[in-house]
Amino acid sequence: MEKYSQKLYWHIRRLVILHEDADDALQNTFINAWKSIGNFRSESSLYTWLYTIATNEALTLIKKRKRNAAVSIDDLGSYFASSHEGSTWFDGDEAQMKLQNAILQLPEKQCIVFNLKYYDEMTYEEMSKVLKTSEGALKASYYHAVKKIEKILVND
Amino acid sequence: MMQKMNDIPGKNPFKVPDNYFEDVNRKIISATSGFDQEVRKISIYNRFRTRLLVAASVAGFIFISYTAIKLLTHDKSNSQVSQVLHEINTESYINDIDISSLEEDASSLVFTEELPDVSKKDIIDYLLRENIELNDIYEQL
Repeated sequence: MEKYSQKLYWHIRRLVILHEDADDALQNTFINAWKSIGNFRSESSLYTWLYTIATNEALTLIKKRKRNAAVSIDDLGSYFASSHEGSTWFDGDEAQMKLQNAILQLPEKQCIVFNLKYYDEMTYEEMSKVLKTSEGALKASYYHAVKKIEKILVND
Repeated sequence: MMQKMNDIPGKNPFKVPDNYFEDVNRKIISATSGFDQEVRKISIYNRFRTRLLVAASVAGFIFISYTAIKLLTHDKSNSQVSQVLHEINTESYINDIDISSLEEDASSLVFTEELPDVSKKDIIDYLLRENIELNDIYEQL
């Protein structure tokens, strides 16, 4: 568990942004994984299986957050500026803030693909098992994500 | 254009509280420890469930097939047995009969009365009454 908890935490954190939300989602990930361990098939590795559960937990949390209109994180900068707690757990400079903002503006799927490729350096084969999508579609997703981010950064 | 993204130093701009990962690992272990036995029982069942179902299906199929075959061949075998038994009994009866001994027995019979003369016409009339074909009679004559 120690081997995977950090990787999974950062993957979730990059999607949900807030530490408290990431903490909840991480714990739910391991509890759900433990409950479903009997259903684990060796067709995928434990690593990709856990990533699948973590991604689903993060997306569930984001959907719940969107339903609650009071908590919306479309602009990290504004959020951190208005929330003392939020700014404590962000250590990046302005450029990193801009990058994170750009990533947040991507469609959900592209955001996940970009994070898995750029930050986790996951292969397309592994990503395909996590997201149950073909490698070709993932490559296209990543390409479009990069183009969109660059366009946002250039215009910024 | 990619250069702009690569110029951004450091990959992870987020932070966590001190000792967060040690604490969260402890929380997860305590949260999941209650499921331990239950999960183990279920996983053993799940592991063998498919194999048990397959084995049960095969056993059921074999049993049904065997029963069906037994039922279908039951009468046939019984009648065959009866026939064989009848033949055996008949053969043994026949084997028990010794023709030569019959002739001896017959020859030892003494008729106390003279046999009446019987004409050929009487014989033919008798045979016709007994529904024996005339042609057969002529052939014998």
